[in-house]
Amino acid sequence: MEFGILTKESGVILVNLIGDWYFNLLFCVILFFIGLYCLLSMRNLIKLLIGIEVIAKGITLALISASNARNCIFTGQSLVITFIVIEVCVVAVALAIIINIYRHTGSLDVKKLTKLKG
Amino acid sequence: MQELYLISLCALVIFSILAILLKDLLKAALSLMAASVFLAVIFFFMKAYYAGVFEVSVVAGLITVLFVSTIGLTKGEADVFESKLPTIIFPLFFIWFIIIDILIMWVLLSKFPPLHKGIPETGSFGEVFWQKRTFDLVAQIGIIFAGVFSVLALFRKKDKNG
Repeated sequence: MEFGILTKESGVILVNLIGDWYFNLLFCVILFFIGLYCLLSMRNLIKLLIGIEVIAKGITLALISASNARNCIFTGQSLVITFIVIEVCVVAVALAIIINIYRHTGSLDVKKLTKLKG
Repeated sequence: MQELYLISLCALVIFSILAILLKDLLKAALSLMAASVFLAVIFFFMKAYYAGVFEVSVVAGLITVLFVSTIGLTKGEADVFESKLPTIIFPLFFIWFIIIDILIMWVLLSKFPPLHKGIPETGSFGEVFWQKRTFDLVAQIGIIFAGVFSVLALFRKKDKNG
């Protein structure tokens, strides 16, 4: 896979989007913004976790696109697999906590967690 | 090929936006699953086959099942009042952010040192994953055990005597 280049031949701009790290980085940042917006604006606990998942997608895309640009895709894949395993464990524990919060308070509203008493 | 890649990237962003803006939690979880599938397609375009398979099977499969199970267990009285304002002003914020981001990246494009192509990796993915990244595997095993014990502790049955 060739590294992304911008050339001008006969008035036509040729670009290899798949290998262009900078172009992929733009989408990584967009995904990060979407996840961050969800974390800042939503009150439902499950929605907050979905926001974290969207941020995680941006991170994995950044890892793979950087390793693709640097021609070390095996190392990038190893890092992404490690990250996905950690992500699954975090989601499992977070959802277990959410279920316990629901059983305790009867709601998934994060604002009802201001008084943390047993 | 380039067009399919661009369509996959746009679909990833669109389904991620739907996942955070949809009011119905089940539809939001399914949108997240669709975003994971398109991310796996993007990984396949970049020849990251193992990462793509992991993304589809674990993130699009297992995590979606976990979300759907949790939504099923917490439905009914768990309706949280969400203000409509974030949904209404999101397109404005999104367009503003993209414009600012493109401008900043355009300015930094000439100042960033180019990401040079490194020496191609030798061997196979298995050799890199099992031999060069062995400590990552040890950490993964530790994290899995920590997750399992945490979930067991959270769902522990309480004694009648307290």
